[in-house]
Amino acid sequence: MSEKLLEVKDLRTSFFTHLGEVKAIRGISFDVEKGESLGIVGESGSGKSVTSLSIMKLLLYPGKIVGGEILFNGEDLVNKSNREMMGIRGNEIAMIFQDPMTSLNPVFTIGEQISEAIIKHQKLSKKDAHEKALEMLKLVNIPDPEKRIKNFPHEFSGGMRQRAMIAIALSCEPELLIADEPTTALDVTIQAQILELMKNLNAKLNTSTMLITHDLGVVADVCSRVVVMYGGLIMEKGSIRDIYYEPRHPYTMGLLKSIPKVSSDEKQRLIPIPGTPPDLLHPPTGCPFYARCEYAMRICNQQQPPLFKAGNGQHESMCWLLHPDAPINEKYEQLKGGVRIGK
Amino acid sequence: MANNNEILMEVKNLKKYFVKNKGLIQKRLEVTKAVDDVSFFIRKGETLGLVGESGCGKSTTGRTILRLYEPTGGEILYYGKDISKLNREQMMPYRKKMQMIFQDPYASLNARMTVSDIIGEPMDIHNLASGKDRQEKIYELLDTVGLNKDHAARYPHEFSGGQRQRIGIARSLAVDPEFIICDEPISALDVSIQAQVVNMLEDLQEERGLTYLFIAHDLSMVKHISDRVGVMYLGSLVEVANSKELYSNPMHPYTQALLSSIPIPDPDIAEASNRIVLQGDVPSPVNPPSGCKFRTRCRYAMDICKEVTPVQKEVSKDHFVACHLMDK
Repeated sequence: MSEKLLEVKDLRTSFFTHLGEVKAIRGISFDVEKGESLGIVGESGSGKSVTSLSIMKLLLYPGKIVGGEILFNGEDLVNKSNREMMGIRGNEIAMIFQDPMTSLNPVFTIGEQISEAIIKHQKLSKKDAHEKALEMLKLVNIPDPEKRIKNFPHEFSGGMRQRAMIAIALSCEPELLIADEPTTALDVTIQAQILELMKNLNAKLNTSTMLITHDLGVVADVCSRVVVMYGGLIMEKGSIRDIYYEPRHPYTMGLLKSIPKVSSDEKQRLIPIPGTPPDLLHPPTGCPFYARCEYAMRICNQQQPPLFKAGNGQHESMCWLLHPDAPINEKYEQLKGGVRIGK
Repeated sequence: MANNNEILMEVKNLKKYFVKNKGLIQKRLEVTKAVDDVSFFIRKGETLGLVGESGCGKSTTGRTILRLYEPTGGEILYYGKDISKLNREQMMPYRKKMQMIFQDPYASLNARMTVSDIIGEPMDIHNLASGKDRQEKIYELLDTVGLNKDHAARYPHEFSGGQRQRIGIARSLAVDPEFIICDEPISALDVSIQAQVVNMLEDLQEERGLTYLFIAHDLSMVKHISDRVGVMYLGSLVEVANSKELYSNPMHPYTQALLSSIPIPDPDIAEASNRIVLQGDVPSPVNPPSGCKFRTRCRYAMDICKEVTPVQKEVSKDHFVACHLMDK
């Protein structure tokens, strides 16, 4: 088994609002191995972005990590001071944000913004940092980098800004790159460019990537393993083939069935998931998907299921139907593994 | 769905230019050709999908058809009658027949109005119902979109994104329109909610014989809902075809690249796919390339593409392409 770079154990994060405690993450565990790409998928409010902010310890008031461990190379980040985190952020763990328009500083040139991280973490002189910045711009395929390095963010297009963000993130050769919806704000043809670039760089620099997205297509393209989140919990995790071809959790199955298939010829009706996601101010005691699940049993409303082994290897799913004593639900048995999409 | 061939809406050489005065001292006009010479038609009862990247003019096309923007040139024929030059008063009866569903369910509902007033407003404007009738109709519409009576007295902030979009749809149905322009109605919604709204739009179309112009950038959803699809690039319509035909046999190099960049949620296909990755960015519509606007990113660009703007040709039945490659 390969080495674990990041291990998240029973992480809990809450926001203490004037309405009460919003439990955004309610105990999640997963790991990222060296050199791999892990995808985290979920809808808005599922806790996927809060997960990344918790790992970076960039949570703003009133957000707080209330429990669990985040082991990065064996060291727990939860107890690190802000000063210690500053040495890690950008240096060992870097992040790309969703919106390239607002995450760059409009009053500094692209070159200055790339150099900033290099000067800070690698103790290079201004001149050497400039050289390195130029090299980074070449690496992310910015045309005419000698000229572009002097540009301000507003002179860049959306796709180029995201390339610049990637250049900043990778400039200190981080071990882990967290990409939070890196292509959501971009058009499909530009998205294809950026995903291609991320895949190439991943292979070239051997950086581990944690890709957070709501787009199941993007994950299938880039990642080797997936974590599916819902209502602040991990519903299912496994290799992309496990999740896309043999999903075991009704939520994953529902999600895959609700997206249209581009490659199929006949017109099929979409099968939506009824209802809406749970309110995390008053999270349900049982399974968060209970209210929307067509296979729901009595126990699902009373007790939160643990992660059960599903199929082979690392495939795990949080559903009572996988309990050895669970009654056999014929529809579920029929559908699991039968929702292969795209083909 | 579309079993008769009656044409409900025809757009001929539609143009919408936005003129901005740039100079502070010297007058300098900057013209953005948002929609430049676009022609297409929509048959009664069908759904025409309009796809393209941001800034390609798809939303402007939708808004110009409804005369929310004044067209710079061209004709908009509703059952053969040109509505592009009608004045406000003459336009009123057409406003009742054509409605719009907007992208952002948060910004398109007035936060200070109750749901009942939001849905009732179009009826008030067109004097369709009042008093008890109006209330009855509002309840009926709420029921149609899967909400209930209790929701009528509430305010928009009390609803989720998906529910708000349902309110927007109820409002558009209030005047019993024939034609609805759906401008990215599902892009702001979560994946699991998108299918709910799309299914509802399909049901409504069947029940009421509605005709849709469905504008979106999600290519797989457009394929799913549309009978025919048009692809726009920098203000021009580059290809229009039956949706099955367009997705299985795209002819324009841009359509080919656009379709191949859709990420497919299937690991085997994703691994096997030979993606055409377009180089560079979309040029600015203020200063578009001469001739064919796509030539700067096209892998087949020839000399003629620089000089002559390609015109739309019907290459096979109902399949229109604007590309010089088709002449060979």
